[in-house]
Amino acid sequence: MWTPSICRRAALLGTTGLLATHGMPLAQGAALDIYGPADPQARRGGTLTVAIANEPPNLDPFHQAGDARTAVTVLMYQGLMYEHPSGEARPLLAESMQISPDGLTYTFRLRRNVTFHTGQAMTSADVKYSYDYIRDAGNGSPGAADFGTIADITTLDDHTVVIRLSRPNASLPMTLTNRFGSVVPRDTFAAANARARLSQQSVGTGPFRLAEFRPQSHIRMARFPEYWEAGQPHLDAILFSVQPNAASLVQALRNRRADIAQLPRPQDAEQLRDVPGLNIGTAPSLRQNSLDLDGNFAQLRDVRVRQAIALAIDKQAVMQASIGGHGTVLGTTVAAMQDSWGAPLNELATQRPNLDRARALLAEAGHAGGFALDLVSIIGFEWMDPAAVTIAQQLQRVGIRLNIQRVELGVWLNAFRTRNMRFTFNDWGTQPDPHILYYRHFRSPPQGADFRNWANADADRLLDQGMETSDPAARKRIYLDLQKLMSETVPTIMLFSPNLVTVTQSRVRNYAQHPTGWWFGLARAWIAA
Amino acid sequence: MLGALAGRLGAAMATAVLSTAAVFLLIRAVPGDVVGEMLGQSAGDRAAEGALRAFFGLDRPLWQQYIGWAGDVLRGDLGESWRQGMPVAGIVGEAFLVTLQIGLVTLVVSLLVGVPLGIVAGVRRGRWPDLVVEAFSLVALSAPVFWTGMVLLIATSTWLGWSPPLIYARPGENLSDNLESIALPVLALGLLQAAAYAQFARQQTAIVMRQDFIRAAIARGLPARVVYGRHLLRNVAIPLVTFAGVILVQILGGVVVVETLFAIPGLGRTLLAAIQARDYPVLQGALLVAVLIALLVNLLVDLLYATIDPRVRGA
Repeated sequence: MWTPSICRRAALLGTTGLLATHGMPLAQGAALDIYGPADPQARRGGTLTVAIANEPPNLDPFHQAGDARTAVTVLMYQGLMYEHPSGEARPLLAESMQISPDGLTYTFRLRRNVTFHTGQAMTSADVKYSYDYIRDAGNGSPGAADFGTIADITTLDDHTVVIRLSRPNASLPMTLTNRFGSVVPRDTFAAANARARLSQQSVGTGPFRLAEFRPQSHIRMARFPEYWEAGQPHLDAILFSVQPNAASLVQALRNRRADIAQLPRPQDAEQLRDVPGLNIGTAPSLRQNSLDLDGNFAQLRDVRVRQAIALAIDKQAVMQASIGGHGTVLGTTVAAMQDSWGAPLNELATQRPNLDRARALLAEAGHAGGFALDLVSIIGFEWMDPAAVTIAQQLQRVGIRLNIQRVELGVWLNAFRTRNMRFTFNDWGTQPDPHILYYRHFRSPPQGADFRNWANADADRLLDQGMETSDPAARKRIYLDLQKLMSETVPTIMLFSPNLVTVTQSRVRNYAQHPTGWWFGLARAWIAA
Repeated sequence: MLGALAGRLGAAMATAVLSTAAVFLLIRAVPGDVVGEMLGQSAGDRAAEGALRAFFGLDRPLWQQYIGWAGDVLRGDLGESWRQGMPVAGIVGEAFLVTLQIGLVTLVVSLLVGVPLGIVAGVRRGRWPDLVVEAFSLVALSAPVFWTGMVLLIATSTWLGWSPPLIYARPGENLSDNLESIALPVLALGLLQAAAYAQFARQQTAIVMRQDFIRAAIARGLPARVVYGRHLLRNVAIPLVTFAGVILVQILGGVVVVETLFAIPGLGRTLLAAIQARDYPVLQGALLVAVLIALLVNLLVDLLYATIDPRVRGA
């Protein structure tokens, strides 16, 4: 199993470094360094059965934010760029990218032999249409805010697109990757039933096209014969079977009904360790299981209370209780970005439990006798229940009595959206870029949403600087400062990243996990006879 | 007879209208909506949120939304799913056929198993066949369906190394895959309903066995074939048919759990997914169909009752 190696040099070059000056010319037909390594022994053919526990609500790459959607649509839709596990955005439908010295103008040369699943050839007009569509908030895309710095998009010729920004945005290339950066044929959404059609027919440029989508049952994809990378992909078809829960994934693997599955509970790997014929692949992820502290809520308004809570929590013990040892304890960034962007844990405040200091802080804040606090946990997120009990015990030691409130996801999202998070668990992921990870969640409105009511002017300044700075070393320094600030004023306590655990039958070859957990690797996988 | 039927139909219609209105309001009273589900943690952009809410008509007052929906339903249009954009009629229709197959097969299985057991137990009351049937019923009735289902799943998978196919196949697509898919759900539901049937048949048999005409028949020395085959069965059949309706409605209720457990894309799972995603059109369409089925089954039972028992005809 290929594990993404995070190359420090590449990461420090960030999203711009090499590409900006040289572009990246590539031989026609050669397998690019995307989706995972090319395998010279790969053989064509076969249907791969994937068991998944979360069904995508639909397959619309523009109007659905859910990870379950993105996980599968990355095989059918492609952006101009690819979120390489190294943390770099690399050309995908673009051939090269040039950035003007002021960082405001991005010029993309497009690949010439790209065909949509509809049969049309891709041109710059399609790129302009797609990105103009998504950045218009009136079209209701959850990705609209990410494209907010774009001032206008023009086409120089059929294969050149120029994107002009209203202010520099070093993460633009990462924005044009595969979550919301998909390119579709122009006027795709002009038809009245366009959104419904995307559940029956794919219109992207990816290696697989949609063959059938039967809700509550399965998604079938077929190899796209006119795919632009010659000789790719190897599989004839992929069948995503929707299973009710984590236990049924384990059964499906054990009984060889499924060829591959990503375990929603990484600790389930232990049940499969001794099953012959199964390979277990483990990789650090871009997800975080965290505790959020709403700066507008009750005692949490006092920064000393937030610090005391952080100092009373033993993250390692919480992770052990929730998922065993199958993850990485976090500081202030996710596991798969720790090497490239993270501040070392020993340079951050409030990372190691210190009960005396916590009690002192609470006493200073006028809570010497302790107090009661509600902790919100989301029904259906299994890790939260053991974590809640563990944290309740830990906080008890400094006099904070937790009442655990379990709420339904819809209810929780409502509170989140209206910036009424209180004291709650959270479970979320990112693309490998610090601006995308932090900005919307922590920047004050109107530029960001500051869901935790952190209202920290220093953080706002750093977040804006980080967005506008393209020099990788300077950019990293800014995000290190931001993380120190987070660790000192505690708007959130990132607990741990669960490992990505993907289990394959031995006949499945050359599947590489991506730190997002999305199914990119199936574009390079093949089935041995 | 016709008057009674018209009355029943009227009551059924009123039930349908009231229950759909209740569902319509209840689901909207639950916090969160489809827009929140689509945005997830990418929320925060008010303009995009407002645009989506307007797209689904969620910005209109409740009464306008209900009248709009009810008007479409009366014109035979259940609308489109807010998740997949596909017509609700198609989604619900397909899901209903899946559930119906499981429901009917379960009904037949529970009839074939439960009725003979119950009659034998009723005739041999207090003796060992009765005790065996009682023990079986007690266990099967006490175990919740999700537990029975889980035990079946684990047992077949660990001891037989067999588990149902990952993907449900319709009978027309691949009959053997289809039967493999529905085997465990039918067994899980069937055990419970067979037990319920056995209990009911036993009790009815016991009642009829005490009647004078049975005693007279036995006293007259009629052969057992005639006593049980003609006199007993004919009289036990009426309540058993009524009970089939009750059982079928119960089965349709139980499939929600079983379909979720066994990944069967029937009405129950569709309903649950629609609730979780706040997909109001699918939820309302699926519940409308469920309500209509329950009403229809009850109506049919009444009619059947009249056919089997001449005494009911004039009433």
